[in-house]
Amino acid sequence: MMLRKLALPVALAVALCPAALAGPRQADAASGTLEFSAIQADARFSGAFKQFRVVFDFDPGQPAAGRLDVTVDTASIDTQDGERDEILRGPDFFSAAKYPQAVYHAERFERTGDGWRADGELTIRGKKRAVPVTFTLAPAGEATIMQGTANLKRLDFGLGQGEWASTEWVGDAVDIRFELRLAPVG
Amino acid sequence: MPARNSSVRYGSVAQFLHWTIVVLLIIQVTLGKIAHELPVGLERLVLMARHKSVGITILGLAVVRLAWRWIDRPPPPVPMPRWQDIAARLNHWALYALLFALPLTGWLMSSAANRPASWFGLVQLPDFIAPDPGLKESFEEAHELLVNVLFVLAGLHVAAALKHQFLDRDGLLFRMLPWRAR
Repeated sequence: MMLRKLALPVALAVALCPAALAGPRQADAASGTLEFSAIQADARFSGAFKQFRVVFDFDPGQPAAGRLDVTVDTASIDTQDGERDEILRGPDFFSAAKYPQAVYHAERFERTGDGWRADGELTIRGKKRAVPVTFTLAPAGEATIMQGTANLKRLDFGLGQGEWASTEWVGDAVDIRFELRLAPVG
Repeated sequence: MPARNSSVRYGSVAQFLHWTIVVLLIIQVTLGKIAHELPVGLERLVLMARHKSVGITILGLAVVRLAWRWIDRPPPPVPMPRWQDIAARLNHWALYALLFALPLTGWLMSSAANRPASWFGLVQLPDFIAPDPGLKESFEEAHELLVNVLFVLAGLHVAAALKHQFLDRDGLLFRMLPWRAR
């Protein structure tokens, strides 16, 4: 009985709230993937970060008020190759002991053909650089599926010190892709 | 020297494939051994990239060689005891098998390690298995075991050829050399 009485108001509330994205939403490694690929020895390989947190406060009707914050635990990098992961966490790349987190922050959003572009800044190893992120949003019940990509140059962030600064055997370009299931905060 | 085999010696195509693969195998084993001793770093990365490129080359040549052997049958064996003839045939086929098994286990090992192989930066090999550190260990052990089998069988092959040449004095070595006997 109780449920039946609630059904109409709930249905109305959902119908009247088409954006279904008002209020901050969040995702983490349990509800999404954050992957990258790069060239090593002329061959493309992929890896992922296993610990991260995304908070996205965005109303497509009011993009100017949007905020995107991503925090990535650099030590959680995983390329399914223990030797390589050790180097990536070490002082020549992420220096995870000194810089345990990489952060992305965006407050400017622009509509693109089928989605959005965030013009934010990425900070890795204490170096902050502008990195645009393109993404699409799709409702999935209570949640929102956010899919996107970004491209960066590892050397912009000092990822690759000493012999690793050469791009002959480890490419400079890194492609990022992510898929997140954003759920309402709280 | 004719391209095709005669009844008493191998032709230039078979000889070229045989000796090219010999040289590449020596380079390949040397690269692999040096890289294996190096610490993780750029130098090892570069040597392993070369090792993979040479390995892919050997695999390609092995395919060509096997196909050519089918098109152009080898000369009949020189007179020898039956057990030696059988041993020689078995050893030849085992060496052919290694020319495939060594590159293939290396390829699988690369895929399992999530370090895909490229042929001299021109083309990236597909991965037939997903990254898997446990499988990588298994293929690594197989790869190392097979290279030791190669040492033994190639050693027997060389020893037998030299025995024919210098003890039996039947001129067998000239079958695989571009110079005329005597």
